[in-house]
Amino acid sequence: MDNHTRPVKIAALGMEQRTYSTLQLFFHEHCKDSYVLVEENSADISIIDMDGFQAHRMLEEHKKHYPNQPSILISLSHNKADDAVYIRKPIMLEALSSALRKAKERLQQPVAVAKAPAPEAPTAKMAPQLQIVASTPEKVTPLLLNNVIHNPHKITKPEKSASKHFNQYRYSANFLTEDTDLEHINTKLAENFSPDNPVQIAKFQYQPEQTLQGYFQQAYFTALQKQQNVLLKGVWRPITILHESKQLRVEKNFRHLYALSGMLFDKSDVSITVLDNNVDCEPGLHETVLPAEPFLWKLAMRTSRGRVPANTNFTAPIKLIRWPNFTRTIITPHALRIAALWARQPTSLMDTASYLAVPLQHVFTFYTAAVSLNFVAPVITEENHSTAALPPVKRHRYRKIFQNLLERLRNS
Amino acid sequence: MTNYKIIFTGPVGAGKTTAISSICDRPPLSTDKIASDMTRDVKKTTTVACDYGTVRLNGGDCLHLYGTPGQERFDFMWDILVSGGIGLVLLLDNTRPNPFQDMDFFLDQFQDFINQTQIAIGITQMDRKSAPCIDDYHNHLSKQGLTIPIFDVDARKRQDVSLLIKALLFSLDPGLIENND
Repeated sequence: MDNHTRPVKIAALGMEQRTYSTLQLFFHEHCKDSYVLVEENSADISIIDMDGFQAHRMLEEHKKHYPNQPSILISLSHNKADDAVYIRKPIMLEALSSALRKAKERLQQPVAVAKAPAPEAPTAKMAPQLQIVASTPEKVTPLLLNNVIHNPHKITKPEKSASKHFNQYRYSANFLTEDTDLEHINTKLAENFSPDNPVQIAKFQYQPEQTLQGYFQQAYFTALQKQQNVLLKGVWRPITILHESKQLRVEKNFRHLYALSGMLFDKSDVSITVLDNNVDCEPGLHETVLPAEPFLWKLAMRTSRGRVPANTNFTAPIKLIRWPNFTRTIITPHALRIAALWARQPTSLMDTASYLAVPLQHVFTFYTAAVSLNFVAPVITEENHSTAALPPVKRHRYRKIFQNLLERLRNS
Repeated sequence: MTNYKIIFTGPVGAGKTTAISSICDRPPLSTDKIASDMTRDVKKTTTVACDYGTVRLNGGDCLHLYGTPGQERFDFMWDILVSGGIGLVLLLDNTRPNPFQDMDFFLDQFQDFINQTQIAIGITQMDRKSAPCIDDYHNHLSKQGLTIPIFDVDARKRQDVSLLIKALLFSLDPGLIENND
C-alpha cells in the first residue's frame, strides 16, 4: 500500500475507552478505514482530549516529542490561553471529518510528510494547529465524543469489538440504562480512608454548588417549591424544568450535558428564571423531554466520581427517606443493599461500608446521587454519634435461599 | 427440597398474571376465566383462584410465585395464599380511578403479613397515565411513616419484575451479597 492509499495513523490521546471505541468505529464505518488508531509513537496525526486533569501537561509532552505532528485538540470549551484551535464537544461528524481532511492534506505536503524528528530536538518548529470552522449543530450528527476523563495518559483499549460497542450506542436510546462510567471510580483509593484525616476528607469531598449539578438542583427544587416552571441558562443550551410533570425540556443531544459535570461555572454565567405558568413549554423540533429525577441522579453520579458533597458527615447515621425508582434510574453498585439498610436502620457512611463489606466509594456514590434528590438525609442527633454501637442487621434465617434466588435472577 | 413462596397481589388488571409469567421458568398455571362481571370492562379474562408459577433454584429448592385474584369477592383466598410466604409484591394500576385507595386497601388487607415479612410495590401502566407519579406514592406512604420500595414497572419485562423481587429480598436481609459482575 503506498502513501496515498495507506490508512492515516491516528493517536487518540487522553481518551477513555468509550470515546476511543467511538473513534475506532467512526474510522471504520464512516471513513472506510482510511484512518486507523495506533500508539502515539507511530502516529501521523494526534487527536487529544483536553478535558482531562493532566491534559495540558500531556499536550506539552506531546509537542516536545512530536513537534511536527499535526494535532487536533478537542475540548468542552475554547481555551483562550492556548493559541491552538479546538473542536468543541460534542464533536460533530462534519467537524471531525473536516479536521481530519485538513490534517491529512498537511501530511501529504512534502514538508509535513516527513516523520517527526528525534524526540529531543529542541529547535524543531511546531506545526500550526488546525483551524476548524464550527458546523451548525442542528444539521449534523453528533458523535458523542464528550466524556471528561481523569486519567488522560492511559488509553485503555476496548475489550469488546468496535461494532459491538457501537451497537451499544445505537441501542442506548434510553439514557437511563447506558454505561455510567462507574468503572472509572477507583475503589481502592478509599480503602484506608479515615474520617478523622482532613487531607483524606478533602480528597473525597467536592463542591457541587458551582457545577451543572448544583445549578440544576437549585433550579429543580425552585420549580417544585414554587410550583412553576423554571428556565436554567448557562454555557449549555437552555434547560426548562417542568414542575408539574417533574420533567425537563432539553436539546435532543442532551448527553453532552453529562460531560459538563467536571466543570465549574461562575454564578455570573448562569441564570435561573422562574417562568410564568402561561409560558408555552412544548418541546421544539430539536428538543426532547426527560424525567428530571434520573437526569439529576446521573448528573450527580458523574459529578461526584465517588466523592461526597462538602460538609458531609461521614459518621452521622443516614436514613433513607424514599427509595429511588430503580427500574428507571441507574443502579449504582450495591445500591439496593444500601437503600434497604438505610430504610431499615439509619447507618453512617463508614459503618455501611463495613456492615455490607462494600467499597466505601460505592457507598459515597449512592449517597451523593440520593442526597442530590433528597432521598436520604443524615439523622440529626444532639451528639451526632456514630452508629458503631448499633448492632449489625440481623441475618435472615432464609439468607441462603435468598442468596440462591438472587443468583438465579442474575443469571437468567 | 424446600419450598418458598412470594405473593403477588393487587387490583384487577394490575399485571399480576403477566408479572408471574415474565419471571417463572414455565408458563404459569392460571385459573383465568372469562370475566362475567364489571371486570370485563378492564380485560377479557380474570383470575378466579390464583396464578401459580415456579422458579427452580440451585440445590433443588423451589420458589413458588402465587398471584392472588384481584377481585375482592375472592379475598377468602388471600389468607390461604400468604400462609408461609416470604414476602409480598403489590402491583398497582396507575390508570385506575384511585390508585392510592387501592394501595391503602391492600396494605390494610395484608398488614399482618407485611409486618412479618416485607413488601415491594410496582406501579404499572405509567406509560399510559403518568399521574400520580412515583413521588406522589411515596408522599402518600410517608404520611403513614412507611418507606417502601416503589418502582415504575412494566409487568411484561422480566428485568422490572426481577428488580422488584430483588428489592424485596434486600429489604428482608440487606446483608445479602450482591454480585455486581
